[in-house]
Amino acid sequence: MTRFLLTEDKVITFIEHLQKQKNVFAPHKRGTNSFAFEQVSDPASVMLDYTRTLHSVKKYFMPPREQLLSFSLTDNSFAEPTVDPVDAIFLGVHSYDLQAVFKLDHNFSEGNPEKNYLKRREGALFVGVTFAPDQWHFSGSVGINPNDADGFDVFLFAVENGYAVEAFTPAGESLLSGFEMSEFNSDIPAAADFNQHIYVPQGKLSEVFDNAWDNEVWEETSKECVGCGTCNMVCPTCYCFNVEDGVDVTATVGQRERHWDACMTRDFSEVAGGEVFREELAARQRHRVYRKFKYISDKTGQPWCVGCGRCTASCSAKISIVNIVNKLVQDHEQATVAPV
Amino acid sequence: MANKPRVAIFDFTGCEGCELNKLNFENELLDILAHVDIVEWREAMDDRVDEYDIAFVEGSLSTPDCIERIHEVRRKCKVLVSLGSCATLGGINAMKNIQPIEEVREEGYGEDKYLFPTLPALPLSAVVKVDYEVRGCPMTQIEFLKLFTALVRGQEPVKPDYAVCVECKLKENECVYEKGMICLGPVTVAGCDAHCPSFGQYCTGCRGLVTDANIAGMEEILVKHGLSVDEARKRLQLYNVNQLEGVQR
Repeated sequence: MTRFLLTEDKVITFIEHLQKQKNVFAPHKRGTNSFAFEQVSDPASVMLDYTRTLHSVKKYFMPPREQLLSFSLTDNSFAEPTVDPVDAIFLGVHSYDLQAVFKLDHNFSEGNPEKNYLKRREGALFVGVTFAPDQWHFSGSVGINPNDADGFDVFLFAVENGYAVEAFTPAGESLLSGFEMSEFNSDIPAAADFNQHIYVPQGKLSEVFDNAWDNEVWEETSKECVGCGTCNMVCPTCYCFNVEDGVDVTATVGQRERHWDACMTRDFSEVAGGEVFREELAARQRHRVYRKFKYISDKTGQPWCVGCGRCTASCSAKISIVNIVNKLVQDHEQATVAPV
Repeated sequence: MANKPRVAIFDFTGCEGCELNKLNFENELLDILAHVDIVEWREAMDDRVDEYDIAFVEGSLSTPDCIERIHEVRRKCKVLVSLGSCATLGGINAMKNIQPIEEVREEGYGEDKYLFPTLPALPLSAVVKVDYEVRGCPMTQIEFLKLFTALVRGQEPVKPDYAVCVECKLKENECVYEKGMICLGPVTVAGCDAHCPSFGQYCTGCRGLVTDANIAGMEEILVKHGLSVDEARKRLQLYNVNQLEGVQR
């Protein structure tokens, strides 16, 4: 396919060109040191050069809080809110975050399809951008590289003075059509190296996790971990939720709400009668990591972690999932190597 | 409307902010009053009664007189609800529990200190059976409304036992630590919708600690972010002396 050169000074007009076609969501600065996807109103405030956003684009398809029903106690009636497709352009998405969306697509279409999620997903177009791995990214270890254009409609490869733009789908081509750019004929510079690595691929990890249940790393980690649930809340492939009914103070109307939930919290595993089936922090930590590298992975053959580094970057104790997995790998290898 | 539950509101050792917070229900007050009759409330009315169904109580128990009065309230009510940090945890008052008591009395009352007998500041639940609680300093309004609605509908209220971080992340707030501040959100019980971090503040822990909170881990986080071990302990003690010292709630 042909690549075009989008020079730095044309980025704003490019975003304006996209805005003429659909709503555009892109990374913006949030707070002092963070970034978040927001709907673009001022193209000049879009940040295409960013580390990672607080939440991934998951939040648009599976909102943090979502009303499932509204009901009336006076006439016993209820109504489901209408769910519309987000139908927008997601600009500046990193490769790992799109792969995370594909994983959620799998989770939400297998078995009992999740109709609200699937409805919102309709019509979404993704324009990716290269990222520069920082101290926490490790997506290379799960097979996702900074210039990985897999699944994108358009990708902006970072090059000197701007981006090499390439469309990969008919929808992507039509996003670009009508926007003047010269052809880009040079090579794409190699993406920067990662600073963190998991030592072995998923095929091997499955075996590692077969023998990791009683590893001391769970107990060790639970000394530093306070079980706040942040790692779950920021994870682009976590999808657990809780559903609660609320009645307003008139006691006549109410709503059923779904919100993201976190398996690192004690509350998560408390069931009717007050029984808590994962009372120990160590057991919760183990569960979280097994969810990313074992349970779903054994069924799909893929890690269910995309290496975005959010769980570690956002952790106030800086507990590293990479260190945990590498410790398991190391112990496994030591245990399986025959003594000389 | 003779069958509406009769509500009485009492205050013990505290700033009365939780009561004020109820008067602040400007949009909901009439709806609340549609469900209950308020029969006694020293801060807002003159009436005194001998019987009531629901007692809302704020403040900690810190004098012999408090102990006597809370037993009386417990005898007269069917349902006892503690409101706010002082009543549910002992609150800020409980910081005196870890100071030399004579110094505390002297600081407060000077040479008249012997006129004012004092006890360690305790949550209501350390002395009487408490049926429900609303946490926060002042008590969290949204939690009060949830509890109130559940009570008038005869349902068991749902109370969270997870950290403020969960609610903070639901709002996609930038982490307080990311701003260079320290925060007790990771071990503090949610239910406030991460009110303080959402408005540029840090969490002081006013809603108390989650069940089985990892205190050593939290102290380590605070130290990692620049506090001394002593400062870290003091931050946690602001609202949670009794929980840290293992006082039965």
